[in-house]
Amino acid sequence: METESKQTNLTIPIAIVVAGALIAGAVYFGNRGNGIADGTQPPTAEAGNLDEMRPIAKDDHIRGNPDAPVKIVEYSDAECPFCKSFHPTMQRIIDEYGEGSKVAWVYRHFPLDNIHPKADKEAEAIECAAELGGNDTFWTYVDRLFEVTPSNNNLDPAELPKVAEFVGLDVEKFKSCLASGKYAAHVEEDYQNALATGGNGTPWSIVVAASGKKYPLSGAQPYEAVKQLIDLALQEK
Amino acid sequence: MLARALLVVFRKPAYALTALLVALVAFAMAVWMPNLGLIAQVITDPDIALSKKIMLPVTLLFSISTNFSVLSALYTIAIPILFGVNVAMMIYYLKRRIGVAKQSAMNAGFAGMASGIFGIGCAACGSFLLTSILSSLGAAGALFFLPLRGGEFGILGVALLAISIVLVAKQIQNPLVCKS
Repeated sequence: METESKQTNLTIPIAIVVAGALIAGAVYFGNRGNGIADGTQPPTAEAGNLDEMRPIAKDDHIRGNPDAPVKIVEYSDAECPFCKSFHPTMQRIIDEYGEGSKVAWVYRHFPLDNIHPKADKEAEAIECAAELGGNDTFWTYVDRLFEVTPSNNNLDPAELPKVAEFVGLDVEKFKSCLASGKYAAHVEEDYQNALATGGNGTPWSIVVAASGKKYPLSGAQPYEAVKQLIDLALQEK
Repeated sequence: MLARALLVVFRKPAYALTALLVALVAFAMAVWMPNLGLIAQVITDPDIALSKKIMLPVTLLFSISTNFSVLSALYTIAIPILFGVNVAMMIYYLKRRIGVAKQSAMNAGFAGMASGIFGIGCAACGSFLLTSILSSLGAAGALFFLPLRGGEFGILGVALLAISIVLVAKQIQNPLVCKS
């Protein structure tokens, strides 16, 4: 009986030690990693302000009619498995609402480089595709990238030029653009803007009504949920 | 022993209902967590019809199949169920043995729930609470080094809640005696 009591009494301290060890290990390894050195931090759950969203402009990558009354601004990470699964949802939305010019899809970068270090370069690759092939090529590159990536930082960087070739780009020019790092600042600007609006994970979307009213949507939500938000936004005058 | 204790408690409909309600609320909160701001915005908007205010949160519950990995979906379902069972059993136990309740079982239950909450969310893409906590600790790249990207906390939560249930079951089965 006494032995059993001792065992019971030990359960909690052991559980606490295990939990503490996990957190301590995470902190230790985290500080050892390069996340601190380059000054980047993963997103936090601090409340952002949707009004901080950078206005949609001509240099944005837009699928659908840029004058559509409802716009969905998606901040995405090419290595996030949930962005990959949300991509067909957004394609379906554009298939359904795009024809009537009711909804446009704006793509911005939100590479969570602390958990997906390869996502930064992939975002730059997407920008290079836009520079070399225009807006349509931007979208076909993104579509193809999400098709081929296994996600969770598992894409072989050698695949990026292959995707460029697949969408009909000049591979050498693409490689040169990617190596230059010329879009790193643009990607960082998108990332910072996502944080400022309250993004704390990907995909992070903001549904913008014609009136300017904004609805935040976090995660790869079901098609029906996105549709309901669009219908709410369409009602806004 | 465990099965007998569960039978004793959940034979009474009030305790089964308590467990069910607690589990449902905990599950809904876990799934809604990343979108609580949106839900609050929609519910408090006077221009939105009541049916739509109800439909959106209900639809968002289905994100358990789109916004969670298989592992995180499993523990996001398991933790609320275990927590509901745990709470109902604790209430049963406390109602009958006020003053002699052992803290260990309750501590394990709450530690399990807390640990589970850390793991809830999109672990692969910036787990909602865990990322924030690690960020505030300066552990920027911590998740990258965890094999399950924070899912460890969910598994720990399930284990602690299971331990807690076993401990409470033991207490329920043990008759009150005066120890020498």
